[in-house]
Amino acid sequence: MSYHLTLAETETSLRKAARACGLDWGLAEEAGKAARWLAAFNLPGPETMLAHLQQLAGKDYRAFIPQGSAQPWHASGGLLCPIITGAALADRSAQMLDGKVFTLGPTAYPLLLAATVGQAARCHQTVFTTAWAGVRVSCFENGLSIEGNHDDLLLTRVDAVSCQQGDLSSPQQLPSTLAYAIDEEIVKHINELAFKIYAPATEASRAGAGAGLTDND
Amino acid sequence: MDCADKNPMPDASNFRRPPEVVMRLARMGSFHQTRLSFMRSLLRRLKNEDWKFKRNLWAIDERGFGRAVYTVYGPERNYSLVAFSHDLPDHMRSDRVIATAWDATFALFDGIPCEADLDRLKQNVPKQEAGRISDSELSLSRANRSVRLWQHVVECLAAGKQPDREQVEAVGYLVRTTAVYGSGKFGAADRLSIADRPEVSAPFQAELLSVWLTRAFSLDLVEHIAAAQGGEQAVAIDPELRCRFGVGNSTGLGMAPFLINHPALLNNWMMAREEALARVRALPQAEAPAITDFKQHFERARFNVAQWHSEHPIQIEKLATLRADLELMSSYIADKSLSADHPWDRFYRWAEANLSLEGQEQMVSLLIEPYGELVDELTQCMDADEHLAFFIDGAMPLARLREIIETQCQWALQVDYEQPENRARFWYTSAEKLEPRVGERFDEPGAEYELPLAVGCDIKQMHTALMVWEGGQTTAEFLLVRPEHRHTARRVQNLAVRPYAEIQDNLIAADMLPIDILRCKLSFFGATKFDPRSDRWVRICMYQDAPFPHELLAAAP
Repeated sequence: MSYHLTLAETETSLRKAARACGLDWGLAEEAGKAARWLAAFNLPGPETMLAHLQQLAGKDYRAFIPQGSAQPWHASGGLLCPIITGAALADRSAQMLDGKVFTLGPTAYPLLLAATVGQAARCHQTVFTTAWAGVRVSCFENGLSIEGNHDDLLLTRVDAVSCQQGDLSSPQQLPSTLAYAIDEEIVKHINELAFKIYAPATEASRAGAGAGLTDND
Repeated sequence: MDCADKNPMPDASNFRRPPEVVMRLARMGSFHQTRLSFMRSLLRRLKNEDWKFKRNLWAIDERGFGRAVYTVYGPERNYSLVAFSHDLPDHMRSDRVIATAWDATFALFDGIPCEADLDRLKQNVPKQEAGRISDSELSLSRANRSVRLWQHVVECLAAGKQPDREQVEAVGYLVRTTAVYGSGKFGAADRLSIADRPEVSAPFQAELLSVWLTRAFSLDLVEHIAAAQGGEQAVAIDPELRCRFGVGNSTGLGMAPFLINHPALLNNWMMAREEALARVRALPQAEAPAITDFKQHFERARFNVAQWHSEHPIQIEKLATLRADLELMSSYIADKSLSADHPWDRFYRWAEANLSLEGQEQMVSLLIEPYGELVDELTQCMDADEHLAFFIDGAMPLARLREIIETQCQWALQVDYEQPENRARFWYTSAEKLEPRVGERFDEPGAEYELPLAVGCDIKQMHTALMVWEGGQTTAEFLLVRPEHRHTARRVQNLAVRPYAEIQDNLIAADMLPIDILRCKLSFFGATKFDPRSDRWVRICMYQDAPFPHELLAAAP
């Protein structure tokens, strides 16, 4: 059954789910933003993020991060995490503005990487283009363009990815602000993960919340 | 908008209070509403833009149950409060967010709802969090009656008498809201969907419009029930007494993390308020009309403080000092000339030396009252694009990151977090109600669920990590290896450009008072009569003495 998940709910629930799967808060925030960004363009950001987080859960962070500075970047565990790597690339956006092209080896869910890097486009008022297989995804300050084979967007892993400053004159799609239609079962799974960061209630926590006074006055 | 370009008084920055003075919890917990507060800017706009009003539906039975629709008509768009009034047994009336039933429930509809919309909302709005609203709604809220005052007012009006003024003023409202949800919560329209609408782009305008209309509904409802009970002898409330009814709100910890989670917004709220004060202090002279205006507002403040009651020991003490401060201010106004050079600045500096924080912050509100033309435009600078505070400058040298901490975060570095009292608390989200809570770290389980709200402690930990770091010297290189500091690096870099973005106190200290955070936020809304019910729960009054929709706005055809 279809469920309408608002963009705010998308960001919040995926941020919490990412935290529950072991990402530190700062990276979990990137995951929430990336999922929201994709959903605003009616791309399956929440679903893809959930799938990736489920793979990440319980694993060692260090196995997924880029090793050294030599290109192409690669992870010791075999696959680069798109959130960790996307954030690392966003942190190097000044180098991309200087013309540097980053190349990556085997990477999980490259669409998530494109969206995570893309968050930096708004602050630089520019466009960053991520390319893999037969598709190029460009994130603008407030827009998106997809060129090439759309079937490649949802690849779960690819052997090579490139990321660089893109062409500002490309035609772009503008984001929607409406709720994102998503399978209710997926929302359930996301919320189950998000729920893991909540502390079980105790008598003390209940006592501490309200005033403990009647409202019949 | 970029407010720096529009500043008519660049010199005012010399009079601006620095963040280390302003961003302290004790001071923020002493804030009063100002003319920049969001309720006041909302009503100014509705009036200035000649909005219209109409109660489009009143399908309420003689017991007071049913539905109603209140619509305001703007130059480009209309907004409607959809209200449902329910039969709520006394034992189910709770001011806790974990309640499941209320006297009345509401949604703010984007436009004018048709019958199908109302039926859809009827299926969902009364359930509140357990229901689901849509992109067509901007807020979801509920309210409970103040039982004693409600009954008194109904009985009086039904008998043809006016309610007792003392009782009205002691409570201040007929209904209390407990939560007003907006910005994409429970299915509501996303904040970005209204961000380009001037009438609701400033913070919380949709939510506060809903509350203003809720107040009107509560008065209409009480008069309706009294009329049904009293028949021909029933009367309506005298307009002059009617405006003394505001609308209450009861709020707790759920609201507190907002200011910490929206650093760009907090910065802009504070900057606007501080800039307003600085502009007034920078004035070389006070003209006679401004002095007269100030004195009128001063007398009104004295009256309001006399009416302000609390049973909480902290607030009782604060009110006593505030009353004494107002007497000192009164003597100052009588004794000292306000025609001297830079009179408002002299007055403010005198307050800093002689008044409590409550008194000083009351004066801030009063000083800017006469100067709407000088300060009201600052309300246009009070929204924020949080995304800009999200960006991390990975190229920033670590030496610079350390420098920001050492120059702007001494408040964080000076605390010894090894001392139990300095990390006695932890913030977490309760699984029971999905709401933020504060726990006692050494007495309760659950610290492993801690939210990243221990800002000062986190900054000090990052600083310590930076001091021993031997890797690459950019922020990007540091964060790739030390991702646990990413959230804090974002906050620290943000501080360099938004100096009022952080509360400069230890948010996990044993003596931290969450009500200070609540009061700060609620004062920006325009709330009055802060009445803490505990150290983490406060009742307030909104829109007391404000005009009603039918008084402020012409009737829509």
